[in-house]
Amino acid sequence: MLENARISAWQFAVLVTLFTIGSSILVVPASLSAFAYQDAWIAALIGVGTSLLLVWLYCAVGNISPGKSLIEINEKLLGKWAGKTVSFLLILSLFFAGAASALYYVGFFLTTHVMPQTPVHALNILFVAVIVMGTRLGIETLARSAEILFPFFAVLFGVMFFSTVPQIHLDYLQPVLEKGAKPIATAVISYLSFAILPDIILLMIFPYVHQDSAARKAFLFGNFIGGLVLTIIVTLSLLVLGPEGTTTHLFPSYALAQKIKIGDFLQRVEVIVAIMWFITFFFRLTIYLYGIALAAAQIFELKHYRPLVLPLGMILVVLSLVIFPNVAYEKNWDTKTWIPYILSVGLFLPLFLLGIAKFRK
Amino acid sequence: MWTIFGILAAAIAIGFIEVPSLWKNGQKRELWAFSFLLLTGTVLSIAKTLQIHIPNPLDWMAVIYKPFSDFLFGILK
Repeated sequence: MLENARISAWQFAVLVTLFTIGSSILVVPASLSAFAYQDAWIAALIGVGTSLLLVWLYCAVGNISPGKSLIEINEKLLGKWAGKTVSFLLILSLFFAGAASALYYVGFFLTTHVMPQTPVHALNILFVAVIVMGTRLGIETLARSAEILFPFFAVLFGVMFFSTVPQIHLDYLQPVLEKGAKPIATAVISYLSFAILPDIILLMIFPYVHQDSAARKAFLFGNFIGGLVLTIIVTLSLLVLGPEGTTTHLFPSYALAQKIKIGDFLQRVEVIVAIMWFITFFFRLTIYLYGIALAAAQIFELKHYRPLVLPLGMILVVLSLVIFPNVAYEKNWDTKTWIPYILSVGLFLPLFLLGIAKFRK
Repeated sequence: MWTIFGILAAAIAIGFIEVPSLWKNGQKRELWAFSFLLLTGTVLSIAKTLQIHIPNPLDWMAVIYKPFSDFLFGILK
């Protein structure tokens, strides 16, 4: 164990919730309705159900040898060198495709909607500075700050929910199941790939949770709440903006927040509501960076992950500017490569590990 | 020019934060890993400011996952 930390089951649940909502809150509505159109809400619901099975799988992998992180489990089951190679490829690809793309979304969102005249480098550097600070402070501090920030998130989400509910049009959801089940299946896979499958990195934190039996419940509960929030966002976007509106907006959740209008005097509060996803983005990115730095330290047998965090942050800024040359590339990559990639590391790798563990017994 | 200067200043500042304690405790491995990453970060940042083409790792992943991707979306179509 590199870090002698302990977090409670409740703190873990909150971390899981915020991580699950993470960048998905901005990405998921548009990508679901691109596949399933007005049935996207059904896809999200099925996705939440399926995600519980996946979490059960992650818990099973985490409990192969309790108190050990994913990297140590890899090494134990696959042998020293094969295990290290698999782990290294895993964190390298997650760093490029998970952490850097989440940071790209932060900069992209801010330059498109909030601060169009500020160079994106400046925004990304500022955001990374906060993430690096959080990561260096360690998981206990992060867990406590998640506990403090979660109520703010909940209040902002409540505001968004209750002030857009009067504007819903139920007929936007009709006709139900117009194109059959296949588009919904694709949308379910898309939902899982953005919201749930990256949870594989949470297996780096899983061993720090205080009690093993409570850890599984917390993992399931956190995931369920996160999935519920996402389902509500997807359904609201469909009901308020319509399927076309949801598909064509770059950030449907932000467009939804723009619709907030109470009486004729309270409007244009979307930037305040957007604080909601700065909180979730922060936790998504810090957990990625924490998990990756910790994993790197375990792979290379270092005594501490802390010295790696600052230089990793520096590389992250450059990567976030390099990886997506334009929006068309990003949209195409997010469907065509991200989905198969995250299926391979988030579904097949844990299944493979579990199979080997059963075989060895 | 000033950007490169700023990047170097940031790299030196990062060095000042991490190196003394690592040096004092004689953590050689950590020092190597840290230096390697810091050097990578600095070189990448300077290359980016000079607008030198940095290879995109996501392109490589797209190439690796192309067969699986075609298979998957072939089924789902």
